[in-house]
Amino acid sequence: MNPLIALLVIVPITCALLLNLLHNKDRTIKIIATIIAIFLPIIPLFTSYGLHYFGAYSTLAQSPTLAQWVPSTITNSVLNLYHMGIVYSFGSAQQVLLIVLGIIAFLAIITSLNEIKRPSGVYAFLMFMLVAAVSAIILSDDIFNLYVFFEIAAIAQVGIIIASKIKGNYETALKYMILGSIASPLFLVGIALLLGITGNVNITDIAYSLKTGIINPQNPVLLMACGLIIFGWLYGTGLPPFHTIKSAVYSKALPHGAALLQAFSVFILVALGIVIFRIFSYIPFSKTFIIAISLAAMILSITMALMQTDFKRIIAFLAVGELGYIGIGIGLGTAYSITAGLFQAVNEAIITAFLFIGFGTIMYLTKETDIKKLGGMMIHYPKAALLVLLAGLAMAGVPPLNAFQSKFMLIQSSLNAGIPELGIIMILLSIVTFMTFMKAFYAIYMRPEPKELKINVSKIPKATIFSLVVFLIICLVLGLFPQIATNALQPLANSLI
Amino acid sequence: MSLYDTIINKIKQIQEYDKENEPVTNIAASSTLAAEITLLSSILVAVIMLRYFSNALMIVAVILVVAIAFFAMPIMPKLKREQNDSLNSMIFYIIIALGIITALFYWGNIHV
Repeated sequence: MNPLIALLVIVPITCALLLNLLHNKDRTIKIIATIIAIFLPIIPLFTSYGLHYFGAYSTLAQSPTLAQWVPSTITNSVLNLYHMGIVYSFGSAQQVLLIVLGIIAFLAIITSLNEIKRPSGVYAFLMFMLVAAVSAIILSDDIFNLYVFFEIAAIAQVGIIIASKIKGNYETALKYMILGSIASPLFLVGIALLLGITGNVNITDIAYSLKTGIINPQNPVLLMACGLIIFGWLYGTGLPPFHTIKSAVYSKALPHGAALLQAFSVFILVALGIVIFRIFSYIPFSKTFIIAISLAAMILSITMALMQTDFKRIIAFLAVGELGYIGIGIGLGTAYSITAGLFQAVNEAIITAFLFIGFGTIMYLTKETDIKKLGGMMIHYPKAALLVLLAGLAMAGVPPLNAFQSKFMLIQSSLNAGIPELGIIMILLSIVTFMTFMKAFYAIYMRPEPKELKINVSKIPKATIFSLVVFLIICLVLGLFPQIATNALQPLANSLI
Repeated sequence: MSLYDTIINKIKQIQEYDKENEPVTNIAASSTLAAEITLLSSILVAVIMLRYFSNALMIVAVILVVAIAFFAMPIMPKLKREQNDSLNSMIFYIIIALGIITALFYWGNIHV
C-alpha cells in the first residue's frame, strides 16, 4: 500500500474545501492555491507504483488472517479472488497522465489567479475539485467509484461555466446539465447491468470473470451494458452527438477554465476508453464503433471549426476533433496504436490548454472573441503572437513539436493495421486543422486593426506568458524526446492486449 | 453559376432563414468551400473502408455519397444549421444516437 496514491485525490479536494473557508481573503487564497498547485505535478512524480486499497484489504486470498473468519463456501469460491473495497491503481502510464494533468492545472490556476481581479470565490474551489475528480477517474479500478467522480467532475464543469461570467454561460450550463441528466443515468444503468451480471464493480475482477468464463461473455445484458457505458463515454468526452454542447461548454468558460475542462474530456476519454477496452474488447464491434465515432468526431468537429467566427468556438471544435485521433488509437486495438493514442492524449491536453490560454490573452485584452471584430494584435503583442503560432503548429502536427510524433505513430499504426484510409483521413484533417487555426490567427494578429477595436488592458500578465512558455517547452521536449512519454505509456498498452 | 456563387447564395438563404443581417465575407465563403471539400473527401475515403465488410456494400455506399453530394451540395451550411446550439436539436440527435447505439450493440452482436 502506498499512501501517496490516495493523496493524489485528497490534496486537491482538501485545498478546494480550504479555499472555500477563506472567502474574501484574496491574498491568502492566492498564496495557498499557488503552493498547492505547484504540488499537483510533483506528488505523482514522487509516488511509487502500486495499488491502494481503501478497504485496507486486497482479496481474501491475499489476506489469510481475515479469510480464517470467513465461511469456507466463500473462500472456496471465486469470491476469494475478488477485491473487497475500492482499489486505486498507479503505474507508469497513470504517472504520466497525472503529471500532465498537474502541470495543466498548475498553469491554469496561476493564470486564473493573475487574470481574475477577485480570486476569492468558488472559481478556484471548482478548479481544484475538477482536478481531484479527474485524478480519481484516472486512478480508480472501480467502475462505480469512477462514475461518482465522473458526476463530481460534471458538476464542477457546470460550476466553472457559471462562474466564468461570459454572455450566454448560464444557458449553456443549463443545457449541459439537461443533456447530462439524459446521458449520466443511462451510463449508471450500464454499470448497474454490469453489476447485476458479474456481481462486481471492480474492473479487474469483471475483466477476469469474463476472460475465465465465470460469467458468460455472450450474455445479451452485457451487450446492452456495453452500449450504455459507451453512450456515457460519448457524453463525458464530447464525441458526437455531444460535440456541439461540448464545444459550447469550452467557449463559455474563461480560457484558463476551458484549458482544464478540455483536459477533463481528454482524460475521461482515455480512462473510460481503457475501461471499455478492458471489459468489452472481446466484442469485435466495440472497436469498430470506437473507430467510427472517432472518425465522425474528427470530420464533423474540424469542418464545423472552419465555419465559426468566434475564436474560442474554433479552438473548442478543434479540441473535440483532436479527440478523434485518440479514439482511433484505442479503436485500432494494437499495443502500438494504443500507445500512440495515449501519447496523443498527453499531447492534445497540453496543446489545447496552450491554445486556450494563448488565444485567451486576446479576450483578456479586448473582451472580444469574434474574429471579424479583431485584428492587428501582432503589432501590440508580437511575443504572445509567436507563442500562439507555435501552439497552432503543434496542434497541426508540425515537427519538431510533440503532436507530430503522436500523429506519426497513429498514421503508422493505421498502416500496420492494414487500414491506410484512416491514415489518409488523419493527414487530411491535420492539414485542415492547420488551415482553420491560420484563419483565426490571420484574422486576430495579421489583419489590419479595426478602428473600433478597443484594447482595455495594456499588458498581458507575466503568469500567462510564463504558462505559455512552459507549454512550449513541454511541446518541444516531448517532440524531440517522445520516448519520455511513450516508454511510460507502453506498459499499460501492452497489458490491454 | 460557379460553385463559389452557389455557396454564397446558400449562405445568404440560410442567413435570411436565421434572420442574420451580417454580410457574407470572402473568409466565410472560402471557409465554407474548404469545409465542404473536406467533408466530402473525408466521407468518401471513410466509406472506402466498408470494403473490409463487403465490396458490394462499399460500391453502393460510394455511389450513394457521390449522388448525395451532387444533389445536396453545398452541404456545410445545412450541416451548420443542424449542429446549432438549440437544445431541441441537441436532444433530438442524442436520442437518435442512443437508439442507434443500443440497437447496434444489442441486435448487432447477438447471435453473431
